[in-house]
Amino acid sequence: MTTHDPELQTPSPHEPIEITLARLLRIGSLIAAALIAAGIATMLLGREAVATRLITAGLLALLATPIMRVITAGLIFVRQKDWRFACFCLVVICALAAGILLGQAHA
Amino acid sequence: MLVQTLEIFLIAITAGVFGSMLGLGGGIIIVPVLTLLFGVPMRTAVAASTVSIIATSTGAAVAFLQDRLTNTRVAIWLEMGTATGALSGALIAGYLDQRFLYILFGLLLAYSGYNMFKSRKNELPEGVLPDRLSQKLQLQGSYTDRQLGKRIDYQVTGTLPGLIIMYFSGIAAGLLGIGAGIFKVPAMDQIMRIPFKASTATSNFMIGVTAASGAVVYFARGDVKPMITGPVVLGVLLGAVLGAKLMVRLKTSTIRKLFIPIIIYTAFEMIYRGLK
Repeated sequence: MTTHDPELQTPSPHEPIEITLARLLRIGSLIAAALIAAGIATMLLGREAVATRLITAGLLALLATPIMRVITAGLIFVRQKDWRFACFCLVVICALAAGILLGQAHA
Repeated sequence: MLVQTLEIFLIAITAGVFGSMLGLGGGIIIVPVLTLLFGVPMRTAVAASTVSIIATSTGAAVAFLQDRLTNTRVAIWLEMGTATGALSGALIAGYLDQRFLYILFGLLLAYSGYNMFKSRKNELPEGVLPDRLSQKLQLQGSYTDRQLGKRIDYQVTGTLPGLIIMYFSGIAAGLLGIGAGIFKVPAMDQIMRIPFKASTATSNFMIGVTAASGAVVYFARGDVKPMITGPVVLGVLLGAVLGAKLMVRLKTSTIRKLFIPIIIYTAFEMIYRGLK
């Protein structure tokens, strides 16, 4: 390791978005993990009905995390007035929304 | 019940470690283990695997984002392809011959496996000139490689071909119910010439979104069984965090050597399923 850390001299232009997204994903995975762990513990105690609900809640929290990640990235680009990338996020969100509607129609 | 939960949990950790390092979901481990070893029905296993891909992606992404390995701009550009592709895949699912698709995707994989084998000794891509679109979108990136102990600056090329390939990988994901990281990594590595570690980290970041669109369908159909999916997801989450920490310390050529057998195995498996 050199004493002249290049990262300190030329900060990455994408720094803020990466820190925000990392925080969001960490919170999402911690909530999901906590709910699922609590569910498995409850299951071992023999309370199956409660366990099922806790685990399902954890899985839904996990499912929501990547969707929230795209929305958050879109909002960051809007705030940075990077309209091109905000548009890209909108395309992804629309495709996801269409997929969700289609999936429910098929079920 | 307790022993089975523990066994599933331990195997899921392994799937999470490999899935996160290689930018794949780990479904390649989860689906056969659940169906063959634990006698879980195929639909339940695929549903559990799809949800666990989100866990791999989310768990590993935190570490990769902090290490700057993930190229978020490339990820969002390419997600347009995977998301619309997955949607098209779901729409045309009923009208296409599954067998033909398996053979087609299998051959495609075999070809990228062969290319990856040829470049197996490459640590980093050299002399990459960015195309105009890449410059316009500012797709270039940089990260600190802890194994090499230096900062790597890189350029991105093949911006439009990359997006088109991602559309087809999205179709594969939508049709076959996978995260399709196995198509994403070679596209970024070979067509867009992104350093391998940044490719697997970026693929890992993207597969969460691809899998989420598939997982919604499984949830709506009631295929996600909490008692099986719960331990799988918890194990995969833990494994993914470990795998991400391990990956930044490995040599690129080591990660490639793990990737090549998996790509070749999957290629043969797909062609076999198509011919059977």
